[in-house]
Amino acid sequence: MPIVTQRFVDNAWRRNCDFITLDLEDSVPRHLKAHARSLVKDAIPNVAKGGADVSVRINHDTALADLNGAVWPGLLKIRYPKAESAEEIRAIDDVITRLERERGIRPGTIEIGTGIETAAGVAHAYEIASASPRIKEFGGGNGYDMSCNLGMEMFVGFDQFIYTKGEVELTARTLNMAPVRTVPFVINRTGNVKDGDRALREAVGALKCGFRGSGGGLNPAVVESHNKGYTPSEDDRADARWVLEQFRKLDGTHESWLEIDGRVIDRYEAALARETLAWAAQCAARDEEKAAAVARAKSILAATTKIESAPPTGDSKKSK
Amino acid sequence: MEHRLRRSWLLTPASSPEKLAAAIKSAADVAVLDLVEFVVERCKPAAREHMSAAVRVVEAAGKEAYAQVDAQLLYADLHASVWPGLAGVVISRAETTEQIKEADQVLTHLEAERGLLPGTVRIVVACETARGNHAAYELATASRRVWGLTLGRADLIMDLRPEPSTEIHMMQYLMQRLITIAGAVGATPLGAWWRAPDRGLLATPDNTLQAARRGRAIGFRGALCVREDQVSSLNQGFTPSPDEEHAATRLLAAYDTATIAGNAVLRQDDRLFDRGTARCARSLLDLAAACKPPLAMSS
Repeated sequence: MPIVTQRFVDNAWRRNCDFITLDLEDSVPRHLKAHARSLVKDAIPNVAKGGADVSVRINHDTALADLNGAVWPGLLKIRYPKAESAEEIRAIDDVITRLERERGIRPGTIEIGTGIETAAGVAHAYEIASASPRIKEFGGGNGYDMSCNLGMEMFVGFDQFIYTKGEVELTARTLNMAPVRTVPFVINRTGNVKDGDRALREAVGALKCGFRGSGGGLNPAVVESHNKGYTPSEDDRADARWVLEQFRKLDGTHESWLEIDGRVIDRYEAALARETLAWAAQCAARDEEKAAAVARAKSILAATTKIESAPPTGDSKKSK
Repeated sequence: MEHRLRRSWLLTPASSPEKLAAAIKSAADVAVLDLVEFVVERCKPAAREHMSAAVRVVEAAGKEAYAQVDAQLLYADLHASVWPGLAGVVISRAETTEQIKEADQVLTHLEAERGLLPGTVRIVVACETARGNHAAYELATASRRVWGLTLGRADLIMDLRPEPSTEIHMMQYLMQRLITIAGAVGATPLGAWWRAPDRGLLATPDNTLQAARRGRAIGFRGALCVREDQVSSLNQGFTPSPDEEHAATRLLAAYDTATIAGNAVLRQDDRLFDRGTARCARSLLDLAAACKPPLAMSS
């Protein structure tokens, strides 16, 4: 979200997001960039009240000034867009390392998320991904900026990013990183960012494909679609338990797989089922965490409101 | 020029004589005696014991015998597999050049010890992990024995699941990457363009046929499969159809006439043909001829 729109920032904690990205980049007009940097320190705890992890997306070309404004306690990750070389990442790592020491943040806590959004970024993906231990996840190779950089059209009826996404994901997997699994290809001809139904369809398809999180949404209207779509349904969980039950039938036999109604049960299917159940448990734990955070934030808010709405003593003007 | 056809590679667990008996009755060009994917861990020692007999059985049935060996158990698996009659090994989950070099050395040693012609046992590198795919070019050039490259069961091993489009996640990228690398190093790319619900080289006969046709269209020359009922689909899918053969014959006749008349480009219907397309038509006819039973036997 654009950090300069105060009502977005103030209401962010109520949105039930797992992640919130405070944006200093493309959603902030040029003349407000300096002002935007001054807002980050207070915005971090403000948007985190609902239990979301907070990232800040900085600008590629003013990285140093942006990092100065963005690296504060409570921050999980710096998102660095349009990464093109390992040198850039090392320079950013150095600045973060210094700021962590200066500002009392445990060394090495702040992650770097790189956006691979240009041809040069794709060509140097492996060097970029291995440039800093702060990079824990790696992804990209698609999206608006990638399409602009390559002179592609964005909303077409086929997957135009097969090669670029493939290079980036193969890099992530080769380095044993969690790929930032954005959405798999679903035809999208409109680019409507508020379409909760399409967001849900995409998320459900993405979950089936093994993805574990959206690339982020641009409108609160898609948050619940993402939460719901990326969480295994009761049917998914029941199916996973059934698979594991069938798989146990192979114990003690000489067979490595069996087939039931045309469906193969083997060690791969069993691993997938175990993973689905583990992911469902993680989703449930995260939901509890967020609910507890929201309850805490609400009770603090209620207490503050009570104090504020107590009978005026002298001055009748209240600060909002 | 190699005449031997290798369109269908049927994987069969080396631990099961019954399955081997079924496999050799099939029309598979190659029988792959598996020690990795379909043999449960505690049956592996017994499966290795079966290998020398199994290689003889496959050879006697007029098929090529390959062994599928584990990149991490090369010494044991190769010692069990390399016997006269073995045409090659598929190295499953290959990841490093050291593994390929080790396999090469062990093969050289075993060929000498067991009376096989030196350098004749081939290697097919199965790039089934991210590291293996990332290093595919290095793996393919690590030994002169490398004859083929395949993605094997990468969909399962890399946990690549179907996208909403039914394409298997990353597969189009990985297939094209592998085929390009194979072309660059002069190796044969083996695989088929599987789509959901196909998984782990297993599909219905009809889906196998479609996967083989799509696979041939993007440059694969043959593919691995798991069940006997997939074999004829692979053979058919990797053999030019009579229509294709007819079109190529017609094109070449017209092209020859045109070149005799001094033209480099021929217009036929709405399409233009030149030396490149004529070369493609000729190689299609060569393949079609090689696929015809009498010729295949005499080669």
